Amino acid sequence: MTIGLTHYLIVAAVLFCSGLFTMMTKRNAIGILIGVELVLNSAGVNLVAFDRYLGPGKLDGQITTLFVIVLAAAEAAIAVGICINLYKNMATVDVDKASRLRG
Amino acid sequence: MGQHWQEVFLACGVLSPMISFWMLVFFGPKMGKPAAGWFAVVFGMGIPLALASAVTCHWWFIADDALRASLTANAVRFTWAHLGNTAITIGVKLDSLTVAMYFMVTFVAFWIFFFSIGYMEGHSDEVDGKCKYWRFFAYLSLFGFSMLGLVASSSLLFLFIFWELVGLCSYLLIGFYFDKQWPQYAQMKAFITNRVGDFGFLIGLMLVFLYLGTLDLDGAAAAFAHQYATHTGIFASHFTLFGWSLATIMGVGLFCGAMGKSSQFPLHVWLPDAMAGPTPVSALIHAATMVAAGVYLVARVFRLMTPDALMFVALIGTITLTAMGLVAIVQTDIKKCLAYSTLSQLGYMIFGMGCGAWIAALFHLITHAFFKAMLFLCSGQVIEGCHHEQDMRKMGGLAKKMPVTCWAFFVGVLAISGAGIPGLAIGSGEHATKLGIGGFFSKDEILAVGYARSYQWDDVSKFESHHGEEGGEAHDEARRPAEPSTAGAMLVSDPMNERAEGQAADAGGHGAGIASIFAKTPPLPKWMFLLAIFTAYVTPFYMMRMWWITFMGKPRDEHVHHHAHETWKMYVPLVVLSVGTLVASYYFFRPMIAMASRDATAAPAVMAINGELHTPAIAAAHHWLLIGAGFAYLIGFAIAIAIYRGGLDLADGIRRLPLMKQLHILLDKKYFIDDLYHFVWIKGCLLLAWCVKMIDTYVVDMVSNIMAKVVMMGASVTGNILDASGVDGVVNGVAKTSMDMSDVLRSPQTGRIRNYVMFAAGVAAVVLLIIVFRPDGAANPAAVAFGP
Repeated sequence: MTIGLTHYLIVAAVLFCSGLFTMMTKRNAIGILIGVELVLNSAGVNLVAFDRYLGPGKLDGQITTLFVIVLAAAEAAIAVGICINLYKNMATVDVDKASRLRG
Repeated sequence: MGQHWQEVFLACGVLSPMISFWMLVFFGPKMGKPAAGWFAVVFGMGIPLALASAVTCHWWFIADDALRASLTANAVRFTWAHLGNTAITIGVKLDSLTVAMYFMVTFVAFWIFFFSIGYMEGHSDEVDGKCKYWRFFAYLSLFGFSMLGLVASSSLLFLFIFWELVGLCSYLLIGFYFDKQWPQYAQMKAFITNRVGDFGFLIGLMLVFLYLGTLDLDGAAAAFAHQYATHTGIFASHFTLFGWSLATIMGVGLFCGAMGKSSQFPLHVWLPDAMAGPTPVSALIHAATMVAAGVYLVARVFRLMTPDALMFVALIGTITLTAMGLVAIVQTDIKKCLAYSTLSQLGYMIFGMGCGAWIAALFHLITHAFFKAMLFLCSGQVIEGCHHEQDMRKMGGLAKKMPVTCWAFFVGVLAISGAGIPGLAIGSGEHATKLGIGGFFSKDEILAVGYARSYQWDDVSKFESHHGEEGGEAHDEARRPAEPSTAGAMLVSDPMNERAEGQAADAGGHGAGIASIFAKTPPLPKWMFLLAIFTAYVTPFYMMRMWWITFMGKPRDEHVHHHAHETWKMYVPLVVLSVGTLVASYYFFRPMIAMASRDATAAPAVMAINGELHTPAIAAAHHWLLIGAGFAYLIGFAIAIAIYRGGLDLADGIRRLPLMKQLHILLDKKYFIDDLYHFVWIKGCLLLAWCVKMIDTYVVDMVSNIMAKVVMMGASVTGNILDASGVDGVVNGVAKTSMDMSDVLRSPQTGRIRNYVMFAAGVAAVVLLIIVFRPDGAANPAAVAFGP
């Protein structure tokens, strides 16, 4: 059995679903952040796979993935900063407690 | 052509008092008490008098008839404004009448200004702590400006403007003591009464402007003569009112102004009250000059008069001269007594004008100005000397204390009574010196013309018609009829006229017209003439009564008598004016006016007649009139002295007699005319005001209240229904919908991240499912991607 595009996509889908599930279930802000990272990485897997199978010889997917990684790093830095501030303000990182902006 | 120096002099004489007025207004307070007065004497009247004297001397001694005529004809007219196609011109009317009047006004006014300085010395001159001394002289100067402007105006419009200015000065000066109540009422009364007359004057002016097309005195007269001859213009109108033609209405309208200013019968009520002003003002304005402006106006518009209009003038004059002469008998206030005698004398002048005695009336105006100014100044001296006592009953025996005043007053009494020796003259011919003063010439001349108009008119008019039809020199003849009848002799004119034959020749063509005038002019009703003669007996009676109870007999009030004194500043003018009364008038002013009469009375519709009674030749033909009028003064004096010789007791006794009692009440109440006016006009005004107030309260207010109710009901409909449920409903509905919508939209905003993530994931899943499983599936990219 050769490893084809579909396999990569399945891995990415599993990753995506795991991340989504993590985001949906975790109350810990750091947990949600981890879920977000999973979702981002699933997208990266997708991009690399599509690049490899649909447009061989070009490096578009890879470069975009590098951007995504950089973006994820930046996003993580901001998110951690938010988490720290959240903790400073509310002495917790439970996002269910931080519902002050509800309608 | 340019102005002659005479015109410039007269114009400067008009302007000088105006400059004096403004100087006093601005710098009067700084000049201080005597200086402001002397300033007004010099600039307000001194300079005009000097200029007038120069013009008068030249006019009288140097100029001949030809030069005078050319000066009159070539006087410059400036165009002041254009009304449509009509130019309103302004200029100096330079003729004998203006020169004579101008000189009289400046002369009399100068001495009254002079007198005022002495008079104001002892008078309180402060109102609210502000000195009003200078204001008195400022007003006097303004009056000088107005009166001289009135006399010098060549246009009816400017005459009217100055006329109103004179009225204003009268108003200001009557109310000079405005801190007291009576002068306030008196000034209002004078002003309002004059407005009534001026209303008529304005109507007359408008008719002149509309039909004669000009307001220039000469132009209007020429247009009137032309329209009369050709039956066009105002004579073509068929409009009548009370049987008067439009031309008559014009004349009567102009005369209404004179009625107001000269205080004739229905409008006479203001003059006695005008005595509320300071005495020099009474002398200057309300006796000598301003009130004479009415007579002057009639003289000026004489050429625009119709026989009917003149008959009205004569009627008003007759009523005034008789009724007011009788009222003077019962007056006890020295100034009011003089005021009523002024009314009576003004009545004589107006009566004279109405008769056609143009020369005599103006002559009487001037003699009267002299002696009445003097009489008033005497009364001012008396009032001042007696410490502001005006009641003659408290005086008596003042002759010793005030000899100059006493004898000056006596000269005035003789003059107003017409004292003289009729029919006697020293010398003969043109230069005969006739023995008499003042009214002896002027009033008797009016009576002579009245006699001719009432008793001899049929003879005269037949005679004139006969001559008129002969044409040729008929005009000149008609104005200067010769010997044939006694009536003709009545009408002999003065010698000055004979020299003017050449000038009058151009008027000869109007001969037929003149004849028709005589046919049209009705004789004067005899009762008018008889009343005038009767009043000639009344006048000396009340004047002698006044003089006697003031100066003769025993002092009746020790306090007053003790106080009496006189000062030189006040009696110098008295002496000057009494000398003027004694000598100047007959030998100077009468010839001046006779000169003026030639052109000023060339009236197309009426006839000016000349009836000098006391020329010996004419007097000889009129024994009855001569004795009747000439000796009236002696009889009047005799009765007065007989009654008042022993004080006031006999007069009181007479007053209590049965019939006299009622008569006395009637006269004392001035025929109840003041009460009638008070009832009709003042009460009427108040009643009208009350009615209007009632209408306002109950009708106008009711209407507005109903309107307000209706508006309020409308407002409640629109407010409660339309606005509250309509407009507000829409607004509130929008707001409520927004609120509800926001409640709905708000509910997903839980503030929980997990919810949002779930929601986003769900939506993404739904979108994905739709894309993947959409019905046509053909262009499904997912299918393409996953297909192979």
